[in-house]
Amino acid sequence: MKLVMDKNRRISDQSYYMKRINRLKQRVISTRPEMDLENARILTHAFKQSQGEPLVVQKARAFKLQCQEKTIRIWDDELIVGCSGSKIRGGILCADTCWSVLNDELDTISERPYDPFYLDSDDRKLFEQEIKPFWKGRSNYEQWLAQIPDDTKALRDTGVIYINRKAVRGFGETTAGYEWLVREGLEGIESKIKARREELDLTRPGDYEKDYYLKSLLLVADGIRILASRYGREAEMMAAAESDPSRRDELLEISRICNRVPAQPASSFREALQSLYFYQTCIFMEQNAASYNPGRMDQYLWPYFQNDLASGALTTEQAQELLGCLWVKFSEPCLFQDEVTAEFAAGYPMFQNVCVGGVDDAGRDAVNDLSYMIVQATMDVQLYQPSLSVRYSLAKNPNKFLRKIVELISLGTGFPAFHNDDIGIRMLMNKGIPLKEALNWNPCGCVETNLEGRLRHFTALADINLGFVIEFALLNGVNRRTGQQVSLSTGNPDNFADFDEFLGAVKQQFSYITKAVVKGNHVIDEVCMNRPCPALSLTFKECIENAKDYAWGGAKYNTGNGIILIGVADLINSVAAVKHVVYETGQATMAELVQALDDDFAGHEELLKQCREAPKYGNDDPQVDRLVGDLFTFFADEIERYESKFGTMTPGILPVSGNTPFGLEVGALPSGRKAWRPLADGVSPSGGTDRLGPGAVLKSVSQICHDRFVQGTLLNLKVEPEMLRDENGIQQLMALLKSMCSLGVYHVQFNVIDQKKLIAAQQNPDEHRGLLVRVAGYTAYFTELGKDVQDEIIGRTVVREISAS
Amino acid sequence: MSPPQKAIVLRVEKTSIHDGAGLRTVVFLKGCPLSCRWCSTPEGQADTVELGLSKHKCDECRICVDVCPEACFSTDIDGSCSLDRRECTYCLACVETCPRSAIQVYGREMTDRQVIELISRDEIFYFHSDGGVTISGGECLAQAAFVQSVLKECRTRGIATALETSLLAPWQALALVVPHLTSLYVDIKHSDSRTHRELTGVGNERIWENLIRLDRLDQELPVVIRIPLIPGLNDSDANLRQTLERISPLKKVQSIELLPYHRLGVATYADLGREYALKDLHPPSPDYLREREDFLRAQNTAIPVTIAG
Repeated sequence: MKLVMDKNRRISDQSYYMKRINRLKQRVISTRPEMDLENARILTHAFKQSQGEPLVVQKARAFKLQCQEKTIRIWDDELIVGCSGSKIRGGILCADTCWSVLNDELDTISERPYDPFYLDSDDRKLFEQEIKPFWKGRSNYEQWLAQIPDDTKALRDTGVIYINRKAVRGFGETTAGYEWLVREGLEGIESKIKARREELDLTRPGDYEKDYYLKSLLLVADGIRILASRYGREAEMMAAAESDPSRRDELLEISRICNRVPAQPASSFREALQSLYFYQTCIFMEQNAASYNPGRMDQYLWPYFQNDLASGALTTEQAQELLGCLWVKFSEPCLFQDEVTAEFAAGYPMFQNVCVGGVDDAGRDAVNDLSYMIVQATMDVQLYQPSLSVRYSLAKNPNKFLRKIVELISLGTGFPAFHNDDIGIRMLMNKGIPLKEALNWNPCGCVETNLEGRLRHFTALADINLGFVIEFALLNGVNRRTGQQVSLSTGNPDNFADFDEFLGAVKQQFSYITKAVVKGNHVIDEVCMNRPCPALSLTFKECIENAKDYAWGGAKYNTGNGIILIGVADLINSVAAVKHVVYETGQATMAELVQALDDDFAGHEELLKQCREAPKYGNDDPQVDRLVGDLFTFFADEIERYESKFGTMTPGILPVSGNTPFGLEVGALPSGRKAWRPLADGVSPSGGTDRLGPGAVLKSVSQICHDRFVQGTLLNLKVEPEMLRDENGIQQLMALLKSMCSLGVYHVQFNVIDQKKLIAAQQNPDEHRGLLVRVAGYTAYFTELGKDVQDEIIGRTVVREISAS
Repeated sequence: MSPPQKAIVLRVEKTSIHDGAGLRTVVFLKGCPLSCRWCSTPEGQADTVELGLSKHKCDECRICVDVCPEACFSTDIDGSCSLDRRECTYCLACVETCPRSAIQVYGREMTDRQVIELISRDEIFYFHSDGGVTISGGECLAQAAFVQSVLKECRTRGIATALETSLLAPWQALALVVPHLTSLYVDIKHSDSRTHRELTGVGNERIWENLIRLDRLDQELPVVIRIPLIPGLNDSDANLRQTLERISPLKKVQSIELLPYHRLGVATYADLGREYALKDLHPPSPDYLREREDFLRAQNTAIPVTIAG
C-alpha cells in the first residue's frame, strides 16, 4: 500500500504543478485568520441609501454595491481568483443577520481558544461607530432572541439543546445551481428572469411583489458581472506591470476569463472552475454561513474537461493543477461564528462539500476520469477544504474507484467522507424527492443530504443532547447541575415498576425536548422570512419561476429543518446499563444507581465497574443492539410527527464537534461515563467501549435505520496503519467498505492511528483512553498496556513504515 | 440433532485480516500439547480456564484479598497484590469486583452452537472479502469433535473454513475435521526432532507423519506452511534448508509464510505468574527478515515464500 501511495505522491511532488500548489498552500497555512468588516461597512452604507425599498431590494442593492466597491486582490501564483472579502483568510460579518456576536467578543475574539479572529483597532472603531449603531435592533438574531419560546429558552440555556446557530449566521447547508450558472452564464439566467418579469401584470394582486423580487435578482446578477470584470481589469493592470513574461501571460489569461465568466456560458474547463468559484465567493459574501456545497463536480464539469482534452486545449496535468489551485481557494475563507458555536464546530469549518462517484440520473455508474482527479487533488493539496465526499454505489461503481478512495483514506487526513449511495438516495426520497431527482443527490456539510439548485432547508437547525434525555428520566426532569426543573416530570425513578416504565420515561423526556425544539424552529422559520438571499436564489430555477426567494420557500423542494441527535452511544449504553444493572442482574437498585450518579461514582467503584461492564453498543451484542432499532425508530417518528411551514421536520445524527460542549453539561450516566465529559460522536460507539474491531462496530451501527435519519448519520472509525500497509490490508478495507454498504450503514470516515498518536497516548493516557490497538491476536486499549508492550507496538508501526517504503 | 459439544474458547477475534484469506473470524481454543519457548499466547497453552493478574493495573485496593473465599491473594512487599493459583476454584469473585479490571479470566466454556452463531454474525464480511472462519489455538485438534461440529455446520452455511494447527494430534482427530476444511495452516517449528523437543517440549515425528499422510488425501486442500522465525533458535541455514527439502515434495503446499518473532506476549507471562524463557531475545530487523526470505527463495523451490505477521 505504502509503496503505491508513495509512488503516487512522488509523481505528484515531482510534477511541475505541485510547486505552484505548494506555494499557494503555504500562503494559506501561514496566514492568520482576521475579521473582515469591509462587506459589513458597504452593506451598512447601502442600507442607509436604500431606506424605504423592500428588504430584498435593499439586500440586492447592498450586494451590488459590495461587488462594485469591495477590494479586489489577485495574489501571486494564482490561476483561479476571487475572494469574498478583502483578506485572504477573512471572517466575514453579516451585520444584518447578527452583529452582536462580534460586539460581545470585541475584547476576546483575537485570542479566544476556539477559532480566534484577529480584529485590528481600525476595524473595531468601524464596528463600534458605524456598523453597530445602524444595525442595533434590526438583525435577525435580535428578532430570535426577542421571540424564543420560554420552554425552548430554558432548555437552550442549560445545554439540553443548541438552537442559536441559524440565527447567528446565514443559510448555508445548501447546494446552489452551479451547473446551471456554469452552463448558461448570467446572461442565460437573466434572460429567464426577464422573460418571467414580462409575464407579470402589475395590476394583478401579488405581481408587484414578484416584480420587485425579480428586479432584485437582476441586481445581484449585475453585481456578479461587475465583480468579475473588476477582476479582469485588475489582472490586466497587473499584467502590464509584470516583468516575468510567463506570469504576464497567466495574468492576461485570467483577465480574459474574468471578462467572460460567469457572465457568459463557460467554454472551457478552466472557465467553468472560475465561473463556479466566483459564484461561491458571492453567495458567501451575501451570507456568512457554512456548507455552500459545490456538489457533484465530477459530473457537471465532465463535459468541459472532455472537450478540452479532445481538442488538445488542456492536458490532464494542467487540469490537475487547476483543480489544485481551486482546492487552495476553497481553504481560504474562514467561517465566522460566535465563541459557543465555534466550540460546536471548531476549525473555521466552511464545509464546502465536493462530491465524486455514485450513479447518474439514469442509475448508471457515474465514475469518470475526473472523479479520480478530484480525489487526487485532495491527496495533492491536503488542506482542510474542500470537504471531499464520495458517493459509493456498491452495485455500480468499479473496484478501481474504491481502491483510489482507500488510498486517500490511508493518508490519514480524515478524508474522504465515504457515503453509501443507495442510502443517500433513499434519504432524499424520504424527504419527498422523486427517485429520478434523488439519484442526483449530493452530500452537504459533513454528512447531510442535498440536491443541487432545488432544495431548501436547514439540515441542522438544532441539536438535542441525548445525555439529558437519560438524566431527566432519572431525575424527574431536574437539571443535575442547577437543581432546577427544566423538563417534564416523568416520575420518581425509584417507583418505576420495571424496565418498560423506565424506557417510557426516557421516551417522554425525548418527546418533551423535541416539542420545545419544534416551537423554536417555527420562530426561526418566521425570522428567516426576513432574511432573503437573492444571490443564492439566483441559481434556483424555481425561485425565478415562482418569483419567490429561497428564504421564503421558493425552491422546487422544501422540507422541515433538521433536528440533530447527539450522544447516541451514551443514550444506548445508559439504557442498556439500567436494564442490565437494575432490572436484570439486580446488581443495584434504582435508588443506589441514582445516588452513585449523583456522586459521580465516587465511593461506588463496584457499581461503576458493573455499569462499565454492562453490554455496550459497538460490539455486535444483541443484548444491547436489540434496543437500538426500537429507540431510534421512536426518535425518528417523534421528529417526523411535526410539520413546519416548509414541510415535515427531519432527523439526523451528525455532531460536528458538539458532543464535546454538550458533554460538559451532563452529569454521570449509567453507561459508566463520568460527569462533565464529552459525549460520543455521531453514531460511533463511546470511546473505549468497542472491543471487537470495525466489523462489530458496523454491525451495531447498522441497527439504526439510517435511511430514516434523512439529514445523515456520521460514523468515525479508527484504523491501524497495519491495515493499510500491504496489499492484503487494502483489499480488506475495500471489502469492509462494501460490507458496510450491504449493512445499510450510511457514512463512515477513518482516522488512521499513526505513530505520533501512539506516542501522544503513551504520554497522556487520560486523553487517549479509548485508543484500541491489535496486540497479538486480540485488541486492547493502548493506554492499559504495560510500557514494554506499548513501546513494541510503537516500534512495530515504525518498522512497518520503513519496511514498506 | 447431535448433543452439544463444548470447548474452552480463549477468545474470538472478528474481522481479522490475518490467519486466512479475506476478513475472518478467528476462534482460538485453549489447550496445546506444545510449549514453544517463544509462544506469544501462553494463556492458550493450558486446557482450562485461567486467571491473569496485571500488576501494572493494580492500585493496591486489596478488594481481591477480601473477596477471595480461598485466600489466594496476598499483598507483596511493594504493596501490590499477588495471586497464588493453587487453591483457586475459579469462582471469579475477584474478577467481578476488581475495580481496575486488573484480574482477568482467560477462556470460557462455549457450546458449538454458540460459536457457530457467533461466526454466522459476520457472514456479510466473508461474502465481500472471500473470508470465513479460522479455528486456531492453542492446538485446536485437541478438541477435534467440537471443531468438527463447528466446521461442518459452517460449510453447510456456505462459510469457508480454515484451521491453524501444529498437526501434533492423533490422525483420528485430523480425519474428523479435514473433510470440512477449505484451507489449512500448518505451523512448522523445527525440522530436527531433538531440537524440536528442546524448543517445544515434544518431538516432531507425528507432525511430519501427519503432514505427509494429509498430502496424500484425495481432497482438494490448499496448505500453507508457517514458520515462526526465532533468531538463534530455528533460523539457521541448515534448518531452513532441511525444512524446505521436506516440504518441497508435498503437492498440497501452496506457500510458506515466515512469522517474525515478536515480544507482544511477554506481559501475559507475567500476568500468569510465569517466567518468559527468552528474556533477552530481540525481534529481528526488517533487513534480517528480508535476508532470510531471500535465502529461502534462493533454494529454488517452486513454493512461494513471504513474510507475514
